[in-house]
Amino acid sequence: MKRVSVLFLAACPLFAVDANRMERDLDEIARVAAIMVDGDVCQRIVTARALQTIFRVDPRDQWADSDNYDVNDEAFIRTKKTLMRLSRMVDYPVDVNLWMPLAANPPRIHIVIRNRYEMSQFWPWGKLHQEMIPEMQSVLSSGQRIAVKQKPGFISVLAPVRNSLNDIVGLVEVVTRIAPDARENVK
Amino acid sequence: MIDNPQLRQGGAGALARARPPGRALQIAVHSHKRKTTRIASIALLTAALCPAIDLRALPEFSRPNPLGGVVEIDRPGSKFADAIQLTAARGAYASFHLVAKLDRPSNYEVSLHFPLPTDIYREWFHFNTPDKKYYPDALIPIRSPYRSKLPEPDNRISQQTAQAFWIDIWIPAATAPSVYRGEARLTSGSEHKSISIEINVTPAVVPEKDAVTLDNNSYGTSWLLDQYPKTLKGLQTIAAGDQKLFKLIHQYHKIFYDHRGTFHQLGYGHAGKVGPEFAPELTGTGAQKHIADWSRFDRHYGPLLDGSAFQGSKRGPRPIPYVYLPINPEWPATFLWWGEPGYEAEFVNVVSEMERHFREKNWTSTRFEMFFNHKKRYKGFPWDGDEVRFSRDNSYLIDYRRMLDKAVPANSPVQFVMRADSSWTMEQQFEILKGVINFWVVGEGSFSWYPGAAQQLKARGDTVWTYGGTPLVQNISTAITLNPLRSWITGVDGFVRWQTVAPGADPWYQLEGGGEVLVYSGERFGRPEPQASIRLKLQRNCLQDLALLEEAAAQKGQRAQIQQEVVKRYNGTSLAAWRNTRPALLTKPVLEWNNADFDDALKPFEARFSNLESGAWQRVRDYALSLEAK
Repeated sequence: MKRVSVLFLAACPLFAVDANRMERDLDEIARVAAIMVDGDVCQRIVTARALQTIFRVDPRDQWADSDNYDVNDEAFIRTKKTLMRLSRMVDYPVDVNLWMPLAANPPRIHIVIRNRYEMSQFWPWGKLHQEMIPEMQSVLSSGQRIAVKQKPGFISVLAPVRNSLNDIVGLVEVVTRIAPDARENVK
Repeated sequence: MIDNPQLRQGGAGALARARPPGRALQIAVHSHKRKTTRIASIALLTAALCPAIDLRALPEFSRPNPLGGVVEIDRPGSKFADAIQLTAARGAYASFHLVAKLDRPSNYEVSLHFPLPTDIYREWFHFNTPDKKYYPDALIPIRSPYRSKLPEPDNRISQQTAQAFWIDIWIPAATAPSVYRGEARLTSGSEHKSISIEINVTPAVVPEKDAVTLDNNSYGTSWLLDQYPKTLKGLQTIAAGDQKLFKLIHQYHKIFYDHRGTFHQLGYGHAGKVGPEFAPELTGTGAQKHIADWSRFDRHYGPLLDGSAFQGSKRGPRPIPYVYLPINPEWPATFLWWGEPGYEAEFVNVVSEMERHFREKNWTSTRFEMFFNHKKRYKGFPWDGDEVRFSRDNSYLIDYRRMLDKAVPANSPVQFVMRADSSWTMEQQFEILKGVINFWVVGEGSFSWYPGAAQQLKARGDTVWTYGGTPLVQNISTAITLNPLRSWITGVDGFVRWQTVAPGADPWYQLEGGGEVLVYSGERFGRPEPQASIRLKLQRNCLQDLALLEEAAAQKGQRAQIQQEVVKRYNGTSLAAWRNTRPALLTKPVLEWNNADFDDALKPFEARFSNLESGAWQRVRDYALSLEAK
């Protein structure tokens, strides 16, 4: 019994260390992302037409917004490749997602690029856009990176994305799960 | 199959009517009249304490309710019967509902005695939230004799006075044409009721090949973990746990196969995440990327691709005819290299290895589908693979076709196909992607706007399926036959129900219409495997008849005449009514259409099929059997 207890006690700090290390890793990726992700390019991803229709509500057509969602390939691909490279800074599953605010009152935000592990602490699956998340609002306002661990098992670090005018135009969510679910979001 | 005119008929809802109390007594006395006076007295006393009982039958398209009647939507034309007389072809099932009625809560026993293989199922009555009514749908296998009580404790319907049973009689192809007789019995206390079952087996044999491939679609495997929490407990942590998952997946394929259908399971998400069971493990990068391990993939797919997963099926083991590949913009090549030489190198390396592996395994009967399901609204990739709306997205499909052709030798016996699911721009895609896409899955409604397209696409060697939803339980029972029949009339190769394994949060007590489910988890009944629904059985029986009709149409060279008679019997229409015309909507640019426009443009056409009756399919069946008799 004693031996088992010792092992258990030893395992707990180890687990915590891993999570702490992950958080440090994600913060480092987020720091680099804030430098590497080009805000001007990000602003060109969603087409002008899609931005006009993104809030469209049609009682006879529940897909009126998403059926018209469109992106400019070149800007999307260029940014996605940067995000994918950033996620390779560690050797365990990490996604770097791009989020951008939408001009709305009250403020709204949408995920613009997701990646291969399909992880996010904030995206309700399938949502085209959603209410502004306070932590994201904080990053957009202050330009400071923050770590978020609201959803059990998830760690996200949010970091600002700036354009050439030094405006914060979006943010990255660098995210991992302590115990990845291999089948989640395979749909 | 129930031969309706031959049924000895009672009135619709006859079981629902209160029976005269004296009749039960009469039955009890009558059944004991040869016994001693003492026994008769005991019987009289017992009968007085026993509930009145009844056992009757309903044709398969007349679904019973838990109060001894017929569900309202199926009621017009439905008749209870005191005996069952069916005419059926061989190599097929004959089905009907058996309804046991007790006027008071009591124990009962139902048994069935018949010389041909018979499966009996208890019909679960679902409370359906959209209209707050009860419908039977899930079928729970039982053995004869079946003993229980009314109300059925687990179904939790306090007013329940009737329990329905779905009876499936299998008539092997080698059965001698003859009349086969048996009976069903109901016993409660000292009361007994029996009804005779008589099946006239004709010389006709339902062809094994279906007139229309009826496909059942699904996404990933996480739904299995939700629906089988006990069976799959530990899957995430126990290395060997995936064997239970594979067994369950194979059972899903088998249940649809047994019901003359096929099953698809898409193995990746909208941003390219591939479930571990859907793809071989990869290693390396760029020119060095290759397949490292096939073992898990082979344990999943091997029995499906060589047919051994279907051992024990009445249809015999056979490889699945279609399967999704895990190929997507992020697999096997990483999207990081898109547009660079590394992307093509990774794609061609891995797909070439797949072709070689499938060839070495002799998996040459199955069509391996390269299909892109992602949509840009889900933010994974910059183009729509599914239901292309923006024309420039087609260029990606052309690129992938080029890479596929590079990876797969032209003379390969392995059947790789490139599939596209299309709606908005299908007419344009048929032209732009000629020679690129050879497997089309198109929206059934809008495809009707392009008369003759099915024949044109098939003439150039393409496979054409249509897709749509699944009729709700509150729709008339015959609705389940409309898509298969319309597919056969239109001349397409198949029809996909886009989702058939999603029962909703609480299908047993709060069904939400059942528009995304045709099979239910049996775990709550101690049967950790999928269980069929009434709608799936009705669809299977419809497909049997369509196979007979197709055989007659092909052999007699009278397709138009046969189809004309079928639609006339089905809903009193002519073949012309089944052909749509181009709506004014098509003159506008696609980006100006919306779903409401779609619905509006389709309404006049769909209205032609709104007059279905519960007896509609039986009339078609009678005709199919009469053709075979000739």
